Amino acid sequence: MSFDSATIDAAREGASGEAGLKLKTTRLGGRLVRILVALIVAALVAQAFYVVQARPEDLVTGVHGMVDLISRAMPPAWSEFGDMLWPALETVDLAIFGTTFGVLMALPLAVLAAANVTPARPLYYLARAVIALTRAVPDLVWALLFVTAVGLGPFPGALALSVHSIGMLGRLFAEVIEDMDFGPVEALTLTGATRLQIFTHAVVPGVLPSLLGISLYRFDENLRSSLVLGFVGAGGIGFHLLTAMNLFQYQTVSLLLIATFALVMAAERGSAMLRRRVA
Amino acid sequence: MSASAGASDAETRLAVSGLRMRYPNGKLALDGVDLAVRAGELVTILGGNGSGKTTLLRCVARLLEPTGGEVLVGGRDLARLAGRQLREARLALAMVFQRANLVKRRSVLANVASGTLGRRRTLWTALGGLPAEELPLAHELLRKVGVERLAWQRADTLSGGQAQRAAIARALAQRPKLILADEPVASLDPEAAEEIMRLLRWLAVDGGLAVLCVLHQPALALRYSHRIVGLRDGAVAFDLAAENCADDKIALLYKDLAA
Repeated sequence: MSFDSATIDAAREGASGEAGLKLKTTRLGGRLVRILVALIVAALVAQAFYVVQARPEDLVTGVHGMVDLISRAMPPAWSEFGDMLWPALETVDLAIFGTTFGVLMALPLAVLAAANVTPARPLYYLARAVIALTRAVPDLVWALLFVTAVGLGPFPGALALSVHSIGMLGRLFAEVIEDMDFGPVEALTLTGATRLQIFTHAVVPGVLPSLLGISLYRFDENLRSSLVLGFVGAGGIGFHLLTAMNLFQYQTVSLLLIATFALVMAAERGSAMLRRRVA
Repeated sequence: MSASAGASDAETRLAVSGLRMRYPNGKLALDGVDLAVRAGELVTILGGNGSGKTTLLRCVARLLEPTGGEVLVGGRDLARLAGRQLREARLALAMVFQRANLVKRRSVLANVASGTLGRRRTLWTALGGLPAEELPLAHELLRKVGVERLAWQRADTLSGGQAQRAAIARALAQRPKLILADEPVASLDPEAAEEIMRLLRWLAVDGGLAVLCVLHQPALALRYSHRIVGLRDGAVAFDLAAENCADDKIALLYKDLAA
């Protein structure tokens, strides 16, 4: 098959002519689309204002109530500091448990859910479905379900975090595996190495830093979630926060909020620092 | 059959015959390729983009499944083997890639030692450990390719040329009889490219290995190869000793290719 230069030139001209026309239409179309998008966004914001019954004037009249609340919350009940330590530990442990089991369950699931290494198509779809389900249901809802199933206390909270983490981690892990550099895998395949050797010598060192980074970030997220899980009876600081609110013990509330702030900041800084180390 | 005079009585390390490869999309990438490489010989495949050079190399290594033909390595037809037999037959051939394909976060020494995994199938190596008894060999090979001082550095700290040397050391750690090199100098600066080609030639001449190399630079190919195989549209256009390979023959390979 050979092309003479005339055919090539003709083809080139045809292509540029069509492309020129397309370019003009897209330019005009682009401006219309932009105006349309701006109108849609404006309409969305306007209807949100209406639906949430936003009344800015209430913010002004509400200042009085806020000031009253804050004055009653001051000073924080430092005397209860000792009583707070156990729930604080419970909160941290909820996150540790949730992250650990989330990672352990997400790893095999991610291998099945990564298009490039999945052993069979049906397993791929099954794994993707499990990931989608566990992700889509919020951890708070999982906690409600588990409280009903196993009773009040930190354990249902830990289970809720685990299950929700499976979905969140599974998806990210699968993405890491799909984006993996296959060069070293090919190189080791050609040394006559076994599948397991290829996995431990090429795949694991290739993806481990990313997986560790994602897991640390998940721990940070789980800690924040575990604070709220107490609201539905799943243990930790959140449970005490809710109790104190209901009993109008605002000084205790402020102490617990300070503890919450400290925990969240510590987890955020700690996980960011460790993530930098493993990168 | 044309071959350089010196190597004609040496043992044939790779014999490809009638190799065909049709991709699932219907494109015929290799259309009955015949090719032989003997011990002590550096053979270079030249050809334009889409001529099938890389496909040929990957079919020989069975990184791709050829749709027809034979690939004889050490008397065994690689194209027909599977599983354990394929793994064992592969021990005889090693490959050097365009981007060295080292495991980035491991040390250079660990990368080189991983070339011995095929013959060290122990529980320890399956769990990710390195075969300790092969570390002296890895050191020795790093010295041979001139980067022994980098043994303990992480592979991702090496320059392109250094990484390619380490990759060649890994290939040698396998103790292969045949080395396949897929554009080994394409991402290197001219000086590093010359050094890598010198190293490959030396492995053929002094090491007695058979080397089959894919290159994009005719000048390098002419300078370092014993024999040049021209590939066009998936078929062998010529197979000549380097000294008989005229420039116009090579130019024909690249002429009128759709850009």
